[in-house]
Amino acid sequence: MEISVIASSSVESEIGSWDLKTGNKLLQFKPCASPAHGLTAVGEKFLAASQLRKESASSGSIFYWSWNKPQVEVKSFPVESIKALTANNEGTYLVGGGTSGDIYLWEVATGKLLKKWHGHYRSVTCLVFSGDDSLLVSGSQDGTVRVWSLIRLFDDFQRQHGNTLYEHNFNEHTMSITDIVIDYGGSNALIISSSEDRTCKVWSLSKEKLLKNIIFPSAINSLALDPCGSVFYAGARDSKIYIGAINATSEYGTQVLGSVSEQSKAVTCLAYCADGNLLISGSESGMVCVWDPKSRRPVRTFNLGKNPVNNIQVVRKTIVANSNKAQSSWKRRGSLIPPPLEKYERSGEDTMDGIVTIEPLPYSDVPVYNSFLSADLIDEQVKELQQQGSAATEIEMERLKLEYKRSLQMNDQWQKNYENLLQVVMEEEQIGGSN
Amino acid sequence: MASFERFEDMCDSRLKPKILQNLLSEYVPNEKQPLTNFLVLSKVVSTISTHKLLTEPPLASIDQSHHGKSKSAVDDWVNRLLALVSSDMPDKCWVGVSLMGVTCQECSSDRFISSYSVWFNSLLSHLKNPASSRIVRVASCTSISDLLTRLSRFLNTKKDAVSHAAKVILPIIKLLEEDSSEALWEGIVHLLSTVVILFPAAFHSNYDKVEAAIASKIFSAKTSCNMLKKFAHLLALLPKVKGTEDSWSLMMQKLLISINVHLNNFFQGLEEETKGTKAIQRLTPPGKDSPLPLGGQNGGLDDAAWNSEQLIVSRVSALMLCSSTMLTSSYKSKINIPVGSLLSLVERVLAVNGSLPRAMSPFMTGIQQELVCAELPTLHSSALELLRATIKSIRSQLLPYAASVVRLVSSYFRKCSLPELRIKLYSITTTLLKSMGIGMAMQLAQEVVTNASADLDPRSVEVDAVSNKNMSLTNGAVLQACSKKRKHSTNSGVEAENSAFEVGVPHNHSSSPITLKIASLEALETLLTIGGALGSDSWRERVDNLLMTTATSACEGRWANTETYHCLPNKSTTDLDEFQLAALRAFLASLVSPSRVRPAFLAEGLELFRTGKLQAGMKVAGFCAQALMSLEVVIHPRALPLDGLPSLSNLFPESNSLASQKHNTPNPNKLNGIAHDGDDLCNKWLANADVPSNNAIQRTLETTLPFQETKRLKVGNDLATVTSLGVQDPTDMVASENVQQADVPVQVPEGSLGQISDKDATAPQDGYVEVVSGTQEGEDYVVKDSLMEEASIGKRESLDESDDDSIPSLKDDDFLSDSDAES
Repeated sequence: MEISVIASSSVESEIGSWDLKTGNKLLQFKPCASPAHGLTAVGEKFLAASQLRKESASSGSIFYWSWNKPQVEVKSFPVESIKALTANNEGTYLVGGGTSGDIYLWEVATGKLLKKWHGHYRSVTCLVFSGDDSLLVSGSQDGTVRVWSLIRLFDDFQRQHGNTLYEHNFNEHTMSITDIVIDYGGSNALIISSSEDRTCKVWSLSKEKLLKNIIFPSAINSLALDPCGSVFYAGARDSKIYIGAINATSEYGTQVLGSVSEQSKAVTCLAYCADGNLLISGSESGMVCVWDPKSRRPVRTFNLGKNPVNNIQVVRKTIVANSNKAQSSWKRRGSLIPPPLEKYERSGEDTMDGIVTIEPLPYSDVPVYNSFLSADLIDEQVKELQQQGSAATEIEMERLKLEYKRSLQMNDQWQKNYENLLQVVMEEEQIGGSN
Repeated sequence: MASFERFEDMCDSRLKPKILQNLLSEYVPNEKQPLTNFLVLSKVVSTISTHKLLTEPPLASIDQSHHGKSKSAVDDWVNRLLALVSSDMPDKCWVGVSLMGVTCQECSSDRFISSYSVWFNSLLSHLKNPASSRIVRVASCTSISDLLTRLSRFLNTKKDAVSHAAKVILPIIKLLEEDSSEALWEGIVHLLSTVVILFPAAFHSNYDKVEAAIASKIFSAKTSCNMLKKFAHLLALLPKVKGTEDSWSLMMQKLLISINVHLNNFFQGLEEETKGTKAIQRLTPPGKDSPLPLGGQNGGLDDAAWNSEQLIVSRVSALMLCSSTMLTSSYKSKINIPVGSLLSLVERVLAVNGSLPRAMSPFMTGIQQELVCAELPTLHSSALELLRATIKSIRSQLLPYAASVVRLVSSYFRKCSLPELRIKLYSITTTLLKSMGIGMAMQLAQEVVTNASADLDPRSVEVDAVSNKNMSLTNGAVLQACSKKRKHSTNSGVEAENSAFEVGVPHNHSSSPITLKIASLEALETLLTIGGALGSDSWRERVDNLLMTTATSACEGRWANTETYHCLPNKSTTDLDEFQLAALRAFLASLVSPSRVRPAFLAEGLELFRTGKLQAGMKVAGFCAQALMSLEVVIHPRALPLDGLPSLSNLFPESNSLASQKHNTPNPNKLNGIAHDGDDLCNKWLANADVPSNNAIQRTLETTLPFQETKRLKVGNDLATVTSLGVQDPTDMVASENVQQADVPVQVPEGSLGQISDKDATAPQDGYVEVVSGTQEGEDYVVKDSLMEEASIGKRESLDESDDDSIPSLKDDDFLSDSDAES
């Protein structure tokens, strides 16, 4: 398992990547200038980032990088500029939120635009999948947070019956949503949203309502959740990282973790790495800082040049040992980058050609062990032989005996017939002879 | 001389050559000595594997002479076997071949590597030799398979191994075509799968021949059902030979075409003709060449078997099994699964239920319909299995099709009444829920609950067991027993009598057999695990109730049934155990699954699991212990301090002041200081997590709040509410059983009023009101909980403050732990 941190900036530059354990600088990918929440790793397969474009450009763009090449491998151009981009855990679907408030769902393997729907009235700012990938939570500039059930979105039947598309609509925020996190609670999960209105709000997925409102001294740019619950981290515009208690008694249940830089540059993004319990923050100053949340001290810092960092992702990659040919060939095939994303939904029969591509699991190559059977077979055959000595043979014996008896009878019959016949013939002959 | 040699113990390695020599001279036949008793062979094999007789100590071992002895003993063994293998007598030959297989598994690596080639050739000669007897051939197949298995574990002999494996293919394919014994087929199938799995490269040039041979067996009318399955499994493995995505897709396409062609024939007159042609069209897109039929040019589609419904169905089932296996086994390359075709195939099969469409009726005779209907359940069962395999293989990527699958499943649920098919349906819903998560739970919840309630309903059971007149009576009794039991924790005499009806409920004369009940319980358990919190408004209460009744009746009076029923040799006992386990598992899920109210049947659950832990058989008891552990968190909510937070407030005192400046910090925080901060946070959190309705408070207080605890509260603080409610202790309730129902609505407002007024009197902090206002629904409860907390904390505080003597606080602690233990 290799865990790396990737960070991108809103100014055109490279995407930096570092090994989290050793701190070594890894390959850089360029060029990239992505909006906040516009960078995502697609499963373990590759890296995708939506691109900020000049106002004049009519379409948006999304770039793909494979892990081992610094250059852009695939460029796609969706109909509008994509703000937020995220992929589900398996890396099979890619979801993008556009400036118009539309949300797009692509199938990664084919690049097909499977679904497009109007999600919000204004630009989508962040998108998050629930833990089991079945729900999508979106936040928008208009201050609303909406929860979508993907299964229901694909259910044209229900769609036609005029139901609202979203499952829940949370609209208590007064300004643009900046970040959303969802915890491990499953069907009882909590959703935390941060906003420019200086609050973070905790929502309950099952109760469909606001549980808690937490006020911060400054606008919050980003959130990271302590996976063990009850605490979350909030990166603020005043360069501080706050700790919020989800269940605090007051609306001000916050404490300061620490501040990234002295020059009061805003903390723009946060990520939590459960492996080793590390919090990673990115700042406008271009610093990426790794914290140990327990001791509240920075463990390590990386530098992404002078450009402000606005996206951080923790990427886990399973390293497949190159022990034999089959595995390396799998790697070759596995690293193939899929085709670019399509612009429009297909219509009619062509929408679903009914083929789904399944990637092999990274561990499907483990040597197979077959079990030995000889010993069992001996037991089985011995039993069989034994049985033949008893039941089967007995039945066969009886049958043969019966048959033997029958044929004996038959024999007698024939014998008799023959004798009768002989008698008749003899008598006739005698009569003929006497005649 | 040898008899005077002493050994250390039964593990002495010098013992091995002795035993081996003994076996060889006593039991294994030789040239002159014929085999008398077959049973000895099993004994020989088990002795060899127990004592590891064929392993040889490494050369560098201490005792050189011992090494020599054991080597010569194994040498003798191998030589004897080789002599037997080449013997003319079939029985001796069989012994030699079988034991050779065991030797391949057991012998030392060095010996295996140095002589496998010789062994292989001597075994192979039997497969090639047309004169050798059948039993020898079967044994040869298995022994060669074991030899290859052992060989595959050596990495450096890969090439040699492949060339050896390749030599096997043609002779056994020839055997497969010529011989008609099922035992031999089985051996051949096993050997072929071994080669496919371990040495796919050995196949290359013969792939088509193998496929054709297997397909012809599947299409042969003589193959038995059991063998069909084995052939289907082998056929599903074949795409691994080439290991490319194309070979997989091609095989799948061939299978689907073949299945659909068969169905076109079978469904004639039962469905619209266009359906079949459409399905075929979909599988062979106009631009592309359609593949050769399964098994080469003459794929057996033109034989005379078309007229036998049974044959067609068993064939289609085998092909579907083959597709299912292909879907679920793992591959090294990526595969393209034709989900659309698979789903439409399943839909097509499930749509035919044997009824005749009005337009078609003149074209079908009654006999024909009868024959079709007899075979339809098997076909449906295979189709459902295929559906499950499809869902399993594509997991989350089912998304675009999920809605249609849900509709298919729900509509079939409504139509289907055969238990066996319903079991399959439940397992499909379980798979759907597991693979698609919460979103799927939202879609399927209602369907699962409705169906499971029907299948678990104890009343549905009596129908054929009791006469009509009795039935209504029994139903009443059962209902009564259910409602009573919820309140009783002890068994009164009357109730025991009533429950006699229930004891008989789940296992005998039941209209829904026990396996169906188990399946429905599993589905409910999964639903609660995945989406328990979603149903709070709608189905949750009903499910909790149902699971409580099911679990109680499943366990009533027969914890010890493993012993009581032991005299019956059939396996219904294990079924019963499994039912009990499934019921308990589902019940635990209903207690632990997140909900807005405290689990209503917590007391019953605890009691049930406690008795189960003490009385049930080991498996169930083990689960009960685990259940008690999970429930411990529910009865003692963990208020562990958060890691690091207190120390943080020490490090950054200004942040605390920041908070208090802007807002009036609630009392407890000030009182307890920093040390209690985390604790309090957690308690608040827990209080927030369970927000019950009014009814539930009533219930909770009645059933779950232990008497000791209420007492403690009374001691700590004069809470009018608690006292008033505390009067309703369990003993009183049992007495006033019958009036209980009527009393509830009156009591509720009383209780809540009391609480509110009490809160005003004793806890005049604004902080609470604010917190509570966030969660309207559970206002009362939050207050109660926080008051309780405060009461105990406050008490401790006051004690600590009044005098520094540690005795009172110690007492207090003792008391607390006492009450904890009792609760």
